[in-house]
Amino acid sequence: MLCLPLREVPQMAASVRRLVAASPIVLVATLTLGNGFGTATPIAQTAIGEVKFSDTRLKNGLRVIISEDHAAPVFAIAVNYNVGSRDERKGRTGFAHLFEHMMFKGSENVGPGEHPYLIFSNGGSMNGTTNKDRTLYFEILPANQLDLALFLEADRMRSLEITGPNLDNQRQAVQEERRLGVDNQPYGKTFEVRDELAYENFAYEHSVIGSMADLSAATVDDVASFFKTYYAPNNAVLSIVGDVDTKTTLEKVRRYFEALPSQPAPAAVDMTEPAQTEERRTSLEDGLARLTRLDMVYKIPPSSSPDADALQVLGTVLSNGRSSRFYEAIVRQKQLSPSVNAFPGESRGPGLFTVIGIVTPGKNVADLEAAIDAEIERVKTGPIEPWEMEKARNNARSQLVNNLGSTLGRAITLGQDALFYDQPGRLNTTAARIAKVTPEDVQRVARQYLVKTGRTVVITVPKAAPPAKGGL
Amino acid sequence: MHRRSTVAVLAVSLATLLPPDPVLGQGQAGTQQPPSTVGMVLKGKAPVSDAVLAVKLPRPQEATLANGLRVMVLEDHRLPRISFQLMIPGAGGYYDPAAQVGLSGMTAQLMREGTTTKSSQQVSQALETMSASVNVFSGASGPTATMSGNALSENFPRLFELAADVLLNPSFPADEWDRLKTRTRAGLTQQRTQPQFLAQERFSKVVFGAHPASRVSATPETLDAITRDAMVECHRTRFVPDHALIAFAGDITLAAARTLVESKLGAWKKAGAPKPPVAEPAPAGPTKGYLITRPGSVQTSFVVGAQSMTRTDPDYVPLTVANRVLGGPIGRLFRHLREEKGYTYGVGSIFSAPEYRGQWSASTSVRTEVTEPALNDLLADIEAMRTAPVPEKELNDHKRAIVAGFALSLESPEQLLGYYVQSWMYGLPADYWDKYPALISGVTAAQAQAAAAKYWDPSKLQIVAVGDAKITEIMKKRGALELYDADGKMTP
Repeated sequence: MLCLPLREVPQMAASVRRLVAASPIVLVATLTLGNGFGTATPIAQTAIGEVKFSDTRLKNGLRVIISEDHAAPVFAIAVNYNVGSRDERKGRTGFAHLFEHMMFKGSENVGPGEHPYLIFSNGGSMNGTTNKDRTLYFEILPANQLDLALFLEADRMRSLEITGPNLDNQRQAVQEERRLGVDNQPYGKTFEVRDELAYENFAYEHSVIGSMADLSAATVDDVASFFKTYYAPNNAVLSIVGDVDTKTTLEKVRRYFEALPSQPAPAAVDMTEPAQTEERRTSLEDGLARLTRLDMVYKIPPSSSPDADALQVLGTVLSNGRSSRFYEAIVRQKQLSPSVNAFPGESRGPGLFTVIGIVTPGKNVADLEAAIDAEIERVKTGPIEPWEMEKARNNARSQLVNNLGSTLGRAITLGQDALFYDQPGRLNTTAARIAKVTPEDVQRVARQYLVKTGRTVVITVPKAAPPAKGGL
Repeated sequence: MHRRSTVAVLAVSLATLLPPDPVLGQGQAGTQQPPSTVGMVLKGKAPVSDAVLAVKLPRPQEATLANGLRVMVLEDHRLPRISFQLMIPGAGGYYDPAAQVGLSGMTAQLMREGTTTKSSQQVSQALETMSASVNVFSGASGPTATMSGNALSENFPRLFELAADVLLNPSFPADEWDRLKTRTRAGLTQQRTQPQFLAQERFSKVVFGAHPASRVSATPETLDAITRDAMVECHRTRFVPDHALIAFAGDITLAAARTLVESKLGAWKKAGAPKPPVAEPAPAGPTKGYLITRPGSVQTSFVVGAQSMTRTDPDYVPLTVANRVLGGPIGRLFRHLREEKGYTYGVGSIFSAPEYRGQWSASTSVRTEVTEPALNDLLADIEAMRTAPVPEKELNDHKRAIVAGFALSLESPEQLLGYYVQSWMYGLPADYWDKYPALISGVTAAQAQAAAAKYWDPSKLQIVAVGDAKITEIMKKRGALELYDADGKMTP
């Protein structure tokens, strides 16, 4: 992440759609509400329109996706580069993210820091963010600044200015980012310990933020070579959503980007992860934490798997909201934890279904673990209620509608789904895919993936504070 | 950098011409004074549109009901969703007894934990099955409690029925109160691990003294002092409609909203009480340094600041501009402390301006080793805003950032409605938001400097740091220093 109060991209949720202009079509509902009070009455469901977009590949391989939405005089632009921390080599952990910071330090026609300055001073907002699977840059601006955004993105894709002082400066900023988010935070190191134990393949085994030593070791040559390999037009997706005209926007995109040379495609990352055959378990002491925390991650297939939707519904049943099984049984009834969360992370390679619970003061982590296990077992063997399935379906619809108001969310999703799944229009099918999931599917994926032999357990224990000076 | 004209572009039917802004017409950069270009180089080659998109914000429709409740609706049928926000002055933590800080916050949370006809679990299941939400919230210090909710249009009547039940018929079950207390205690423990919480807790006490604005959270002691009876009474006497506002945004008309409110909240009776007043906080005591030692800290987290002003104070607008120049995105603090010096990942300044004097503060977290130079640079940047006018181009760029940014809010009916809720809350003129861009554009360098000089006087700035005990001597260099531990207790 480059900077500013944002810690993660807003509206990064799976899908974003917008109902544009057309009158809502009212369908006869097949779903009913039955939740313990009053009569279950059929509710007419409002249909949600499709997001229309153009999908073009320039001669140099740059994929360009444009979606018009004239609801407000703004547009958003996202550039998803096909590079993340999974592409890093040993000894250079954290480099993809450090490189992201360098993308704001100037190019041939843009001075260091000028890019953010121009975006903000013209009423816009912007940021960059890196994860294991991709590096994303985005801007949102008033509609009359399309040329500005295209110029800035094209100039740095073409001619990044790489200098030692800029690298040193951003190395320091990134090391502070690590201190802020990891080293100075309770449970900050838990994620690193967890991934290092859960994965054997280096690609996902190491953290996005990287180690202090590796960040210190990065050189200007590393930056230059990374830029040439990964920041080529044929390794990126440019997506634009908002108050733009598709034809003229595509012409402008060609003018700014098409002359950029393509590069040989980077070697595909080996994501092969050896099958896990027994539970892995560790614990660590944390000097900044005050309450014990339990992290359990289960190996699941990549998000492109046909099982991904059922795993999503499984996460909803287990931990979405106060009606969820974890909340009702573990938080409310047994009071073993003030919060337990479970979710399948989006992942291009072998993924993790994550369960995290804090232990209530005075309670036992073993009891919390047993209670979580019991609820997982209950999903595998017992019925899943119709209302739980309806909740998952409505969540998918509601999430779509709630994200429709954001051109930025949609630009990011269209581009990322093009990159990850080669399906920019994937958001148009999410609600229908979730609606097809059956209770049996949910039980099947729970039985298949939420197994002890496929999980990694990390227990973070507060380190007892040394006695304070002066006998206090 | 590039020529600017004062042409406004009509982009959509909502847009109208912005009053010509004389200062935006002279964009050519003169010689910049430090530190305005520190940490940045402007090559001026990127194509920037000369126009500032001017927008006229849509106005909400309003009505007042017999029980005193004000209804506001911002219609927006682009998406099939509706949200509402109910603002209840008098029900905020501001009015909690000092020994029961958190009383109204707990009352608000417990309202969601069961009604006379539904259990906590039934409320949750009913809401979440339709992917809708209802939240009741009351902060530790503000005068107003809020209830908010949202749902797809098709489910909104059901959502509102549930919300009305939560508002009017909470049963405050004793067993749910025990559970809520247990969860809250865990939360009170957890928040003490966050350096930003520790810094803000101390800063608020230092700046506001015994005034309710100093409250940031319940404590284990005040939590123990809160009883079910006190919550029942708090709900009965303070969650009343007399001075309240309910604001809807989205796929709904005023007529439909009014019908809904009258049918579902008909039993919400006027209490007949005057609107509870607020008092100004006493001026803060002499400036000091405050250090909260947090064992294991690898960074020093600073909050530096003072009291600000009320929302209707004429200084609000010039300080908004000055604050943006200093501590806004890509402002001086960011460019200096991060982009030039590499001391930090993030730094900025914010201020609040409620019905009483609020607070202004700059904050950052820096590695322990650079605690001293980072604090010196932070204070120097603040001081430079007081002693020298902001160069014209820098001032214009930051004013344009605010004015042009209004176009972005047109994406969100909730955000637009938020402007009008602010107007209601602080009694701003009806055309305030139409004129706001011109108010911002009209701020001169002298006015921004005068606001900075008034509010950022070093003799008023309190310095709070959270970090390793080894920075004690550094902090003492600036004068008197009070020391606290991470539990908030004073230490020798």
